[in-house]
Amino acid sequence: MNKFFAVVKREYKKVVFTWTFLLTTFLMPFIGAMFLVVPMLIFTIEGEQTRIAFADLNGNLAERLKKNLTPNKLADNLKRTAEGSLDKLEPSQNKQIEETAKLFGGNFKIIDYDASGKTPSEIKEFLNSLVAKKELDAYIIIPKDIDSTESKFELYSRKAGDFIINSTLESALSDAVRSQRLLDADISEEKLRQITRRVKLEKRPITETGAEKEDGADPMSGFIIASFLMTILLIYGQAIMAAIVEEKETKISEVLFSSARPFELLMGKLVGVGLAGLTQLAIWLAAASLLLGFGALSASASGIPIELPSITLMVVIYFLIFFLLGFFIYATIYAFIGSMVTNMQEGGQFAVLPVMILIIGLYFCFAVVRDPNSSLAFWMSIAPFFAPIVMPVRILAEVPPFWHIALAILLNGVAIIGLTWLTSRVYRIGMLMYGKRATIPEVWKWIWHS
Amino acid sequence: MDEMNTTLSVEHVTKRFGDFTAVEDLSFSVQSGRVFGFLGPNGAGKTTTIRMIVGITIPDEGKIQLFGSGITPGIRDRIGYLPEERGLYKKMKVLDQLRYFAALKGVAQKEADKRIDFWLGRMQLSEWKSKKTTDLSKGMSQKLQFIATMLHNPDLLILDEPFSGLDPVNVEFMKEVIAEIKSQDKTIIFSTHLMETAEKLCDDIILLNKSRKVLSGKLREIKASYGKNVISLRCSGGEAVLADKELVAHIVEHSDEKEIFLKETGRAKDLLARLVESGADVTKFESIEPSLNDIFIDKVKT
Repeated sequence: MNKFFAVVKREYKKVVFTWTFLLTTFLMPFIGAMFLVVPMLIFTIEGEQTRIAFADLNGNLAERLKKNLTPNKLADNLKRTAEGSLDKLEPSQNKQIEETAKLFGGNFKIIDYDASGKTPSEIKEFLNSLVAKKELDAYIIIPKDIDSTESKFELYSRKAGDFIINSTLESALSDAVRSQRLLDADISEEKLRQITRRVKLEKRPITETGAEKEDGADPMSGFIIASFLMTILLIYGQAIMAAIVEEKETKISEVLFSSARPFELLMGKLVGVGLAGLTQLAIWLAAASLLLGFGALSASASGIPIELPSITLMVVIYFLIFFLLGFFIYATIYAFIGSMVTNMQEGGQFAVLPVMILIIGLYFCFAVVRDPNSSLAFWMSIAPFFAPIVMPVRILAEVPPFWHIALAILLNGVAIIGLTWLTSRVYRIGMLMYGKRATIPEVWKWIWHS
Repeated sequence: MDEMNTTLSVEHVTKRFGDFTAVEDLSFSVQSGRVFGFLGPNGAGKTTTIRMIVGITIPDEGKIQLFGSGITPGIRDRIGYLPEERGLYKKMKVLDQLRYFAALKGVAQKEADKRIDFWLGRMQLSEWKSKKTTDLSKGMSQKLQFIATMLHNPDLLILDEPFSGLDPVNVEFMKEVIAEIKSQDKTIIFSTHLMETAEKLCDDIILLNKSRKVLSGKLREIKASYGKNVISLRCSGGEAVLADKELVAHIVEHSDEKEIFLKETGRAKDLLARLVESGADVTKFESIEPSLNDIFIDKVKT
């Protein structure tokens, strides 16, 4: 047993105490954070003030528009959108919304301009000259008849590409026009809001047993997690194969085999590298939950609706269990390949096989996400080789009955025992064969006749 | 043979790989505290036999006993094995590497560290302790591998071609170390094709050829039994006598003298008498022991 632990320790340290491991482990969450935080930071950077004039041919809208662009009004609007997507607003979020609004509102400096009695071309000529003199940045021409479908609202801007300004202006303008139309139709603003409030449809799936349950996670997140799992399994499988080929190429195996049983050596290697993978995954999971929590908070604060998948501790545990099952299945296959080839290039040719199996599993995840209770989903999520990818996706979509999960663990456990038995027999002999790749009939003989 | 002093006994061992018989019906034993030479040309079955002794492979037939019992993990930890195919982890540091090999032999780390320091000092590698293996020269990694073989203080040391790849200075150095280990009452088995080295170091030898034992026993006795019939001769003339196939088996020519191998029935005094009779001028006539090399070539040829 001590020898086994010596192998585990070496393999673990060999993987974990490398620059690449440390970099990928700690950089990944950092890169993830960058994707979440950097755009938010960029949004909060104060733009230059935009000097804007309204050429109001209608005569009623300029004042409304001005009011709609004050920070208070903007904050009100943001709050309303946020309330639409989130049930309740925390006081801290309230404050954040106000600050964001102030930021947007403070961006505008309204230049008074009286357009009455002027033709559009006169207006344009004059305002364009102001822009040319750098006294004005943008102006909006509001048509006389705001109800005709023919009439156009036009924004002339030096910064036509600034989408934040554009969208703020657009919504302020539509609000102003709407208010005017309501006034014309004799309907109060408050009344309209009541009439047009959106219905919120709550999705509550019913499980097979007829019990209600909370809304499941976003199907996309299941797929992302499946491809993420697949990538990790492939990376660690490759690492195992490389380690075995190295021992064969450098002929260390002979010394090793005279010291410890091949089975101990093989299992030590698998467990050591597996623990390293688990370490990395745990760090990523912890970082991801921190980031998601933080990201969701600041996203909803700035009015972007975001829904967190409902992940319980049990789901995380299942996730880790199926990662380990997958690791041992694919690592053993890679170890098998490593034992029969003489270098990494040869190994690469055979390694297409596990990659294919994993990709097929990934495709089945689509079917599982669409209908987690179909019989296809059931069979694929318990099948050896596929379950480690498919089952976590299915659990995320909708937690299946416990016996499905137990059966998947059992079947894959049995598959691992079988694979380990096969691999240890090939490993024992293959590692002492130098210079020549084993043929399939030879491997067959090693397994059954030695 | 005294069972108490037998470190290794190999009894009627056969090993086949498919149709090829690598070792056939091999029996020999190694007494404790002796240096045992495992000799034979390439492909004779030396490495296959050694692999069976250290328990990497299992014989198809026959029995191998170490220290009076079968091969168990406990017994294995009493063996130090330096394989012919040397292997070290390239990217591992010298110290970590040695610690790992010691742990695989069941040595506690504290004890291992003490022995690592001792052996690195003894092998003049102390300043390389925290270097990576790739930085070491070939000779140095060879010495490092030897240290890895010694860390668990084995009672039986099995060295497969221990001198290959070493420069002459290091060969002498390793010979000293081996002699030192022998003086600590350890048993050493080493395989080599360098007969001169074997001759200087071995107490007993076994000679394998084509999967079979050709010869075995105490080196002294083997050489003595061959010695009767070899004559170191310096003379001019007498070519007719030397060409007599009834008397002379074969001749090895040196620069100014000849080694005459007599037929088993041939006798030294007959040769001398006939040379003198033929009028040859004999300046040296000495009955000598053949070198191990001569015996090796003689046995492998026939």
